[in-house]
Amino acid sequence: MPDKPSDLVQGTLDMLILKTLALEPMHGYGIAVRLEQMSKGVFRLNAGSLFVAFQRLQRAGLIRSEWKATENGRRAKYYVLTDQGRKRLNSEKREWGRQVAAIARILEAS
Amino acid sequence: MLRNMASGLRSLFRKERVDRELDEELRDFLELATEEKMKQGTSREDALRAVRLERGNLEVTKEFVRAALWESVVETCWRDMRFALRTLRKSPGFTAVAMLTLALGIGANAAIFTLIDAVLLKSLPVANPTQLYRLGDNNNCCVMVGTQNGGSFVLYSYPLYEELRDRTPEFTELAAFESYLSDLSVRRRGDSAAEPYKAEFVSGNYFTMFGIRAFAGRLLTPPDDSSGALPVAVMNYYTWQQHFGLDPFVIGSTFNINGVSYTIAGVTPPRFYGDTLRSDPPDFWLPLAAEPNGRLHDAKLEWLYVFGRLRPDVAPEPVQARLTVELQEWLGSHRKVIPERDWKDISQQHIRLTSAAGGVGQMQTAYAAGLRLLITLSALVLLIACANIANLLLARGSANRSQTAVRLALGAPRHRLIRQMLTESVLLALAGGAAGLYVAYVGTHAILLLAFRGAHYIPIDARPSVPVLGFALLLSLATGIVFGIAPAWMASQSDPADTLRGAGRSTGDRSSVVQKPLVTLQVAFSIVLLIGAGLVTQSLRNLEDQHFGFVTEGRLIVNIDPSLAGYTPEKLYGLYQRLEEALPQIPGVLRASLSGYSPLGGNNWNERVYIEGKLPDYRWTAPSWDRVGPHYFETIGTRLLRGRAIDERDTPVAQHIAVINETFANRFFVNENPIGQRFGMGDTSHNGDYEIVGIVEDAKYQDTRGPAYATFFLPLLQTPSGDQLRGWVGAIELRVAGKPENLEPAVRKILADVDPNLTVLKMVSFGEQVARNFNQERLIARLTELFGLLALILACVGLYGITAYAVAQRTNEIGIRMALGADRGNVLRLVLRGALAQLGLGLGIGIPAALAGGRVLAGQLYGVKSHDPMILGLAAVILAACAVLAVSVPARRATRVDPIVALRYE
Repeated sequence: MPDKPSDLVQGTLDMLILKTLALEPMHGYGIAVRLEQMSKGVFRLNAGSLFVAFQRLQRAGLIRSEWKATENGRRAKYYVLTDQGRKRLNSEKREWGRQVAAIARILEAS
Repeated sequence: MLRNMASGLRSLFRKERVDRELDEELRDFLELATEEKMKQGTSREDALRAVRLERGNLEVTKEFVRAALWESVVETCWRDMRFALRTLRKSPGFTAVAMLTLALGIGANAAIFTLIDAVLLKSLPVANPTQLYRLGDNNNCCVMVGTQNGGSFVLYSYPLYEELRDRTPEFTELAAFESYLSDLSVRRRGDSAAEPYKAEFVSGNYFTMFGIRAFAGRLLTPPDDSSGALPVAVMNYYTWQQHFGLDPFVIGSTFNINGVSYTIAGVTPPRFYGDTLRSDPPDFWLPLAAEPNGRLHDAKLEWLYVFGRLRPDVAPEPVQARLTVELQEWLGSHRKVIPERDWKDISQQHIRLTSAAGGVGQMQTAYAAGLRLLITLSALVLLIACANIANLLLARGSANRSQTAVRLALGAPRHRLIRQMLTESVLLALAGGAAGLYVAYVGTHAILLLAFRGAHYIPIDARPSVPVLGFALLLSLATGIVFGIAPAWMASQSDPADTLRGAGRSTGDRSSVVQKPLVTLQVAFSIVLLIGAGLVTQSLRNLEDQHFGFVTEGRLIVNIDPSLAGYTPEKLYGLYQRLEEALPQIPGVLRASLSGYSPLGGNNWNERVYIEGKLPDYRWTAPSWDRVGPHYFETIGTRLLRGRAIDERDTPVAQHIAVINETFANRFFVNENPIGQRFGMGDTSHNGDYEIVGIVEDAKYQDTRGPAYATFFLPLLQTPSGDQLRGWVGAIELRVAGKPENLEPAVRKILADVDPNLTVLKMVSFGEQVARNFNQERLIARLTELFGLLALILACVGLYGITAYAVAQRTNEIGIRMALGADRGNVLRLVLRGALAQLGLGLGIGIPAALAGGRVLAGQLYGVKSHDPMILGLAAVILAACAVLAVSVPARRATRVDPIVALRYE
């Protein structure tokens, strides 16, 4: 529902998580850190909204999770992008691009 | 969507594992974040603090994440429910009282609703009842001639019905049936005695029109309803079950019905009761062609109701217009069958097409107002019950205040507290509602017996139907919310700091802000109900104890119909002679008489009269009349005022005479002596037929509320021009010593001796016959009394409860007052003042409300004004006395407070 502006933020977070996972499977904290790094600190997410988003994406079948050992030998839940998630990411990226362009055109019009 | 459901269900059922995983994941998350901070050189403690601020607290986050899922709602509800169950179990006394109150309140409503559903809402148990339409919009009955009331045609002659049937193709079937039920005398081949049954004569397409199929055998078809067809009858399933034990050999067997051999073609489906919801529906349906009075081809007599099934693609309005045109045309071409004085009204005659989904609305018309009154009253009782339970909950809520405060202090959101308390009250209400269904079942049974006193079979099922179950469920939910919302809100509003500081030792508390108006309201509702009960009870008593113009004590009424036993008019004189001779021989019978019908037995004949030497006067409705034998007036206890009564001298061949009542005398003979005057029926040429020889006092024969009708009485067989049809006797009156019912067997035996074919259609005491006229009034009076009593008890319990609670709350204060020198009188006044103020206020609101509401009732009252000061005063005194009694118990307890103990309290 990207045509509803109120969903923009929520939709954006989901899209960003999918994007992060497109590179490699990651655990929750890893995703948070990566999002912060990539946004240069603009997005600092609290655990609550992040985990609610994980649950939402999992329920939608866009990501799945598995327990794996981390690099320092601890057990952690890793999130993996599914095929469906990859498709969604691509379509969302296109939609986002379309919207940004449209918004830009509106803002630049005099 | 499906995946979401599945995953939600999984996490519901494997809750622990899902919880553990979330916990571990979150903990890791926060741990990693902390480590990250520590790498930058902060101490672990500072890092933890920073992470908590930035990323959120572990427990709160867990709660947040969990709450985002739909299954969490289910889970909290489930938890609330278990908690509520535990709480209710912990206070069994409260739970029992609340449930009982609710069961009575909801039960009363569900019982009345069962009746409303059955009488007003349910459709006939036939195929697609909404396609059925009736030609007519009122319940005028029986047999009429000429134009009809207000121009709206309801009763039809058979030729007119045929015309409409054949000219209106918009109906797939148009069926006609008798507007009344006929008595039958039925003997199965091989049985010795004939039994009385009820029948309805119907057109051959009657069952096809309803679209029902036979339960066994077959139903009537048009060929059965033609002259010369072999006589067949259809039996009601209920009759088959009750009287013939579902005997399969009944179908196809031969029955002697009114002296004619009929074959039983089949049995109707179990729930079918015909075209009209009524007590004692027809036992048999017979074809119109077999109608015994020869009415079928008489274009003058209007005696049939007509139902039709409209084709699904046709709207009723154009059909109605078309029917009116057809009616007008028929009337125009049949002027000879319409009395001349009605000709001017022909152009106003029309047909109103009304829905017949519920059948002929006899019971609907008779009971709608009563049922509306009853549902209002039972709703009032339920409101009082709700107020009571709300009060109990409030009192308990205050007692649990410290618990609530602790939970609030620990961060429980207020809406969760409200939800949890509402869960408890709704649960309570649902349990009460379930118990209420049982109360409703028993109550409906009792109500049906009261409402249809004297009926053998009432085709209304007392078992709660689906709409009733839905109604009870909705009512329970609404009730739970109504009485739960105030206490829940009060509890959630409490300030934890106050409570924990020990503010419980106050002199009053906030819950009384709600409690007091609730009790006041209860008192107000109760006084309304009590006054209502007083009014309808007095009205019923006035009706029953009025001077009817006859005496009911020690009288027995027997209904017979000699025509069913095969008597022809010329044999009647012999039969009446034998009866008049045999009946007084029965030991215990003091007097016996015969008549066309007896007072208040549901029958009334009227006929225009033409008085010798006077112009015909059409201003009045035609006077009533009856045929009576010797000793009739003595037997029923009507006083002779002047002249003589009808006696043995008045044989068919003697001079024709009449006895009139006072109203007849005053209406037709102003300032004249009626004795010796002559009058007759039919037309002016008959105005010399009967000579008036006596005047009797007025007596009520049909309408119990209005004045007696102008009535004249003729000897049994004195008919002017050999019009023998008018000499049939329908009732035997017996004046007896002792209980009338005890004579039943002896009377049956004597009648069987006179003629074994003479079926006793009905035998009841005169008192019972009269009492059955007041079934509806009695039902309303008894139920209103019951509701009034319930309301009284509930209001007193409410007053008791709030006073007892106040005393408990203020023990401390009372102790201090007593320690400071207050005596018992002061304390008593202190406690009583509050309760009596509410009582006074409640009465102050309730009595004007009752006066206002009484005006609605005024039309239904007899001999009592809706503002009757005696009843108003009595109701107020009863309520006040009970209330003072209820309040005095806790008040006295307050005076016995020991100051030392009280100060140590808590």
